[in-house]
Amino acid sequence: MLRSGRMSTSLPARSVRIARRPGPVDLIVEGIRDIWSRRRLARYLVRADMQRHGADTLLGNVWWVVDPLLQMAVYVILVSVIFQIGGDDYPLFVFCAILPWKWFSTAINDGITSVTSRERIIKQVSFPKLVLPVAATVGGVVNFAFGMIPLTALIVLFYSDRLSSTILLIPLVAIVQFVFTLALSIAAAAINVFFRDVGNVARHALRMWFYLSPGLYAFDSVAGRIDGILLDLYRLNPWVTLFEAYRNVIYDGRTPDFEALGFVLVASAVLLVLAIYLFKRVEPSFAKVL
Amino acid sequence: MRFFSRGPAAIPVERDYAIDVRDLGVRYNLRFTRQTTVRTSFKNLLHRPEGPTDFWALRGVSFRLVHGESLAVIGPNGAGKSTLLQVLAGIIQPNEGNVDVVGHISSLLTLGAGFDVDLTGRENIRLAGAFLGIDHRDMERRLPGIVDFAELGDFIDAPIKTYSSGMRARLGFAIATAVDPDVLIIDEVLATGDAVFRAKSKQRIIEMTKAAKGIVLVTHDMTWVTEFCNRAMLLDRGHVVMEGAPAEVVALHQERSEQARIEREQELARRIAAVERGTSPAG
Repeated sequence: MLRSGRMSTSLPARSVRIARRPGPVDLIVEGIRDIWSRRRLARYLVRADMQRHGADTLLGNVWWVVDPLLQMAVYVILVSVIFQIGGDDYPLFVFCAILPWKWFSTAINDGITSVTSRERIIKQVSFPKLVLPVAATVGGVVNFAFGMIPLTALIVLFYSDRLSSTILLIPLVAIVQFVFTLALSIAAAAINVFFRDVGNVARHALRMWFYLSPGLYAFDSVAGRIDGILLDLYRLNPWVTLFEAYRNVIYDGRTPDFEALGFVLVASAVLLVLAIYLFKRVEPSFAKVL
Repeated sequence: MRFFSRGPAAIPVERDYAIDVRDLGVRYNLRFTRQTTVRTSFKNLLHRPEGPTDFWALRGVSFRLVHGESLAVIGPNGAGKSTLLQVLAGIIQPNEGNVDVVGHISSLLTLGAGFDVDLTGRENIRLAGAFLGIDHRDMERRLPGIVDFAELGDFIDAPIKTYSSGMRARLGFAIATAVDPDVLIIDEVLATGDAVFRAKSKQRIIEMTKAAKGIVLVTHDMTWVTEFCNRAMLLDRGHVVMEGAPAEVVALHQERSEQARIEREQELARRIAAVERGTSPAG
């Protein structure tokens, strides 16, 4: 209020000039600063999204627990019952892949529309748009965290012999996945402003990606069929490493391949920096194009 | 005066203006619009689309606003009024010229259009604060005042989708003005809202003007311009036609729109006549 007597606001002061175009390093630093300084905005956006998902369905947020279980049931029926090729404890085996993949695909899909769906506010207020895809990705983490409930229940109730302390390494694998997801989400959000085809492409690309990654089947079954350079190429897919890692710590009770995980982490970090650069580079024209 | 006794620390004193705009130009690229898909881009690559690829929404616009002034930007549709506000708010980057806005700026442009309709009024206040980059503790302190000013009663905890357009406008205005901006930018200030709230928001605008704040607003309400703004600017097709005392600028604007209306009518009459001439021999 005007009469509150406080003259100092934290509204950012601003001066715009057609100055030299900031260099790549400036843009990346600015981007990281954007995200950090607006972390509260990201939090509000995540919370708003959660409320929205919960509000208009009968079971509300219970769906976050039920959904992966139903999806698991579909794959178990398809692979174990119909094709009869599922291995030992196939429900748990496939659940290890469904949970992280659900987070990934949801975050990418939300990320793609994160900027375009906020069109109105973008034309109203000047704020760092980078927060939008970040919030979409973080929202996926919440989803993933909820998925831990059915996972734990599944293990304790049916597969208690597979219970191992390595399960505590899940967050470690999740961090690698988070960096990778964030990078793709940011890049996709930026591109979608200019080409609205991204959503259509992503829908099919994601499905194909899942089937080509060892989610429904073990990596060993791929390694048995192809070799040499083809196998090396196959291993470049980050989801080979991620699925394997999740399965190691949950299903096998083993420590994951840290070297491979480290490689994916470094590659994802590089990708993230590039994505932030791309995003910051095109960000000024968002309000005009939208 | 309360403002001097407390020391206006937020206003840098080395510059005596709130807004300085020089030779501003904003260009839109018509080849990249919201409907662009990969297919259309390929098509454009193969054979260049006909017609101009660029469009200057604003060109050669210069003005200066000192603290305590309230500037009304008027003009016909498509004159570039909203674009100008967007540039001042930092939403659009200019392609030419300099824009210097001193101090804190608040820009909830079309009041309330950016609300998240699934959230409650209270949540939207917090969200708006976060979008504007206001510290959340600061926003919490301002929240009661905003709720009070918007006069929403129990609706403040109901989702925005249950609000009437007047209620949305009230909340939007309350937020935009509550954050103590040095420069306030409002698009279509009183498009909605009941008479009582109009009076109240006028009161607040006047208060802000007195408090040495700069205000830039776009409106179609000419009485508002002459009564409460101390300057006006007439824009047409991206250029400044006239700038000065509100009464004179409004007079010119009305004269011009009257003329445009007459021209349109004459044009229409000519076309009707042409159609009639064209059809009569055949019939």
